[in-house]
Amino acid sequence: MKIDADARSAARRRSIGFLARFCLLLVVFYFLVAWHPVNDAVIVPFTAAIARVSGGVLGLLGENVAVAGTEIRSSRFSVQIENGCNGVETALLFGSAVLAFPAPWKRRLIGLALGFAAIQLINLVRVVSLFWIGAHRPALFSASHTVLWQSAVVLCGVLLFLLWASKEQRRPAPAAAGGAPAATGGKPRDPGETA
Amino acid sequence: MTRAKPRNREEPSRHARLNLDRGAALRLAAGFAAGLAFWFAFSAPYERLLAAAAGGLIDAFESPAVTRLRASGGEIRVDRTDFPPASPRPGLPASDLHFNFVLLAALFALGRHPLSPRPFGRFWIAAALLFGIHVIALVFQVEGLYATRLGDWSGAHYGALARNFWAGGFHFYLVAGRFAAPFVLWWALGREEETSQPLRPRSRRR
Repeated sequence: MKIDADARSAARRRSIGFLARFCLLLVVFYFLVAWHPVNDAVIVPFTAAIARVSGGVLGLLGENVAVAGTEIRSSRFSVQIENGCNGVETALLFGSAVLAFPAPWKRRLIGLALGFAAIQLINLVRVVSLFWIGAHRPALFSASHTVLWQSAVVLCGVLLFLLWASKEQRRPAPAAAGGAPAATGGKPRDPGETA
Repeated sequence: MTRAKPRNREEPSRHARLNLDRGAALRLAAGFAAGLAFWFAFSAPYERLLAAAAGGLIDAFESPAVTRLRASGGEIRVDRTDFPPASPRPGLPASDLHFNFVLLAALFALGRHPLSPRPFGRFWIAAALLFGIHVIALVFQVEGLYATRLGDWSGAHYGALARNFWAGGFHFYLVAGRFAAPFVLWWALGREEETSQPLRPRSRRR
């Protein structure tokens, strides 16, 4: 059917457009955070703040830790929080995807703020649990650090984006929308329907 | 008669469908666990394959071809035939390169029938593309090592532009690329399944 083929072709174009915008934004954000002045003025102090908050939580959990800059130390274990462990890379991925997705700017900014907060919360759990594993189950630290938690945090970032995007999709389309006729007439999309 | 305003943005509801429910969450968790088990089981032979492919690619553009890559103990050992015999051989951590296979497996498991032939086939196509990305990332890592970590030799053989290109390229992979690659592959190949299924009549129940 021609209409069906046209709809699929349009969906494919939108999908490719999204990916192109996503990749472009990712490269731009990468250069921004990798730029030395930004790294020194924003990323490093932000990572140090993560270390302080994580140290505070570990203290509440009964661990006797000291925090110096981006390092958390105890008599049993010490860890340096670096790029890759501060949630920034997941935030880059999430932010690029949200900004690349077609939605009103206000909704995007709300999504960015809530998503960033959620990613940092998950990352806090990661840092605290990795420190605990390093102190009490050191044999498990390497696999937990490299594979498990890194994958889990990024996956959470992707899921947060998908949740936000699926909410955005269910919003009614603008009433004055011209161009191609809307397949659903602007009503919320049924989960069983195809785009 | 009023003229409809031209749209200044794409209509969100007409974008490809995303459907997250409890079933998807369970499939995601199962995909993550299966991907992790597969990754742990096949990391060692995969790293050998990766070292052979990246070594071959480096050799193809090297004159004379002196680089030899060997995978052992979770590292890619970089050897050159022109290294002094007594000098230590640098080792590059391999798991950082390719653990994103687990992410790819988890994302492809999100679909409704991830093990049916079409989505499963697409998953392996995506995994093959991810292998290509891993090979290129390893080439960047080795060239980045040559360009920045071999002292005077690096300065003599790599200019500022080449140093930034190779080392910066690998840094981009570490910070953003390795996480973005599975997402992009899934979005391009995995989600396609969601949009390309034929419309089926749905029964109404009261």
